[in-house]
Amino acid sequence: MSSDGRRKVSRRRFMTETAGAAAALAIVPRSVLGGRGHVPPSETFGGALVGCGGRGRYTFGGLGPNVVRLASCDVKFLDKADNKEVYTDFRRVLERKDIDVVAIATPPHWHALISIAAMEAGKDVLCEKPLTRFIAEGRAVVEAERRYSRIFQIGTYGRFSASRSPGNILTHKIMASGLLKKCEAVHIKRSGLKVQQWSGIVNAKPQPVPKNLDWDMYCGPSPLRPYHPHRTGGTHRGYWDYEGGGMADMGQHHFDFVQWIWAKDDTSAVEIEAHAPPAHPEACAMWGWVELKYADGLTFVMESTEWGKPYDRKRPRGISLGDLSEGNRRKVEAMPDPAPLVDFPTAIRTRQRPGGHAEAAHHSAAILHLANIAIRVGHKIRYDPVTEQVVGDDEANRLVNPPMRAPWHL
Amino acid sequence: MAPSGQLKALVDQMPDPDERGMYCTDIDKEKIEKAVAAMHKGGRKAIVGLIDMLVEPLQGDDVRPVKAKYALHCLALAVCNLADEGPRSEFSLTLASQLGGDRPKAVQAYLVQELQTAGGKEVAGTLGTLLADDVLCEPAAQALAAIGDGAAEQLRSALGKAAGKRRLTIIQNLGVLRDATSVAALREAVGDPDAGIRLAAGWALANIGDRGAVDLLLKAAGAAKGWERIQMTKACLLLAEKLQAPGKQSATA
Repeated sequence: MSSDGRRKVSRRRFMTETAGAAAALAIVPRSVLGGRGHVPPSETFGGALVGCGGRGRYTFGGLGPNVVRLASCDVKFLDKADNKEVYTDFRRVLERKDIDVVAIATPPHWHALISIAAMEAGKDVLCEKPLTRFIAEGRAVVEAERRYSRIFQIGTYGRFSASRSPGNILTHKIMASGLLKKCEAVHIKRSGLKVQQWSGIVNAKPQPVPKNLDWDMYCGPSPLRPYHPHRTGGTHRGYWDYEGGGMADMGQHHFDFVQWIWAKDDTSAVEIEAHAPPAHPEACAMWGWVELKYADGLTFVMESTEWGKPYDRKRPRGISLGDLSEGNRRKVEAMPDPAPLVDFPTAIRTRQRPGGHAEAAHHSAAILHLANIAIRVGHKIRYDPVTEQVVGDDEANRLVNPPMRAPWHL
Repeated sequence: MAPSGQLKALVDQMPDPDERGMYCTDIDKEKIEKAVAAMHKGGRKAIVGLIDMLVEPLQGDDVRPVKAKYALHCLALAVCNLADEGPRSEFSLTLASQLGGDRPKAVQAYLVQELQTAGGKEVAGTLGTLLADDVLCEPAAQALAAIGDGAAEQLRSALGKAAGKRRLTIIQNLGVLRDATSVAALREAVGDPDAGIRLAAGWALANIGDRGAVDLLLKAAGAAKGWERIQMTKACLLLAEKLQAPGKQSATA
């Protein structure tokens, strides 16, 4: 690893490690050979994709044009893994010194662990959403980003365009100023949370594990269940073992940029209440709505429109300069606009923190987990965003940081 | 004893899986809660009756085991939501009383999973006995780690007799619980021939914040290669952070 923290592949190393390797040359000839419009190798990064399902190539594409794919890893590659370019075990990928950047598109129960391990190994990370399966994982990703001074970006990008809108910038500035003492704003997300679509099967019968799949590694930190194909390949979203239904799957898309607009990248809701039937222990299923209140009064609502009575407690409401006193209005108007968010390809070159950094991603995932916890425990919960614990609620806290199956741990 | 007809009728009030096998249509919250409240009134007999209906993993097309599984979890949630601790404890002890016997291991694993939700220190001893079982050790260790209270003694006691995957699981969960009483055994495990054991022990010592493990972990990290080196280095950093935490600074001097 280079001492300046910028893990560029040097020309000499890049050429040494690829010379004579026909397969590698097949991947990288344009950037190696140069030419008009091509990136010179000294600015080229070695990349790996972990999780090569449907989202994989799009996630890898998010790394930008300067990243050359040197390794592909997936637990379903038992029949073709060579531990040179194709792997089933991400640990072997992370041992490679020529890999600088890792794209992670596995199911979410692996997101935090692989992100953390990659940063421990000195790699930068672009990880698919949702960041995590539970809250404590998010804090661990944030700590790894800090401890190893790595670049981390979550794979949802709504905040990049949202942060360019003048109206959103004004809302962001009013909230970030701290001058609005009592916020009565209400943001309601109605539908689009795919609750039925990403539910789990409650009567699944075990089936033989496909020969090409390392099922134990697939389950990883989650319980080793009998195999069923519905637990893999996208429909994994319907199981608490791997994700958290449509709430966790779609929620980070819907709320990550909202969190930026309302200047909540560094905190979380403090009171969460759900309208839902009793949850199933393993399969994600129906819920009606979840109301999340922040300490300053801001309210977010997720409404599925797929079960139960509609949410009717509050109506959507924004904020404006008119909510401030004259003096405070002038102060907000004098505030500079927030700096433009840095995208991942720029971040890995310049070592600037990208727009979807770990802390922001952690907090936008955390509100989804809090919503799911309220659904799962069946009562209103109060959350302390500083300690990241549910207040006085042992049952709920068991879902904030559930144990993992050995040898996996945070 | 076979479940009563009344209990079967209550279980039948639970939702039917839809055509995809999901709980997505005709989910009547009030109907579910009413039936669960009636089951709760049935006390221990009703809980055992529900357990008797469980079939894990599922076989055949009988939908009642599916409903009984859901009903048992609803009951776990219901007793946790009561202000009185007594019903939760009674529920937890009843589940524990059904462990360790002839019930299929997969059914027992499900009961342990429910104890991870609703169990307390009253079942730590029972879960501790399951640490000697190759199948149930992992869920039992996780349930113990979630319960916390009274868990470390069980794991510590089981460590000496455990081998292979069970030993790994127990060491990891001693680390999760930050059990300082285990450090001697964990230091010894850092020299284990099994790399997985070494890594788990190294991380556990770091998470505990064992000042006496500094040299041991530095040496282990220096001698390791590849993934093990990365993880042992992480353990060194974690240990340094733990030792620098408030109240521990003098230890890093």
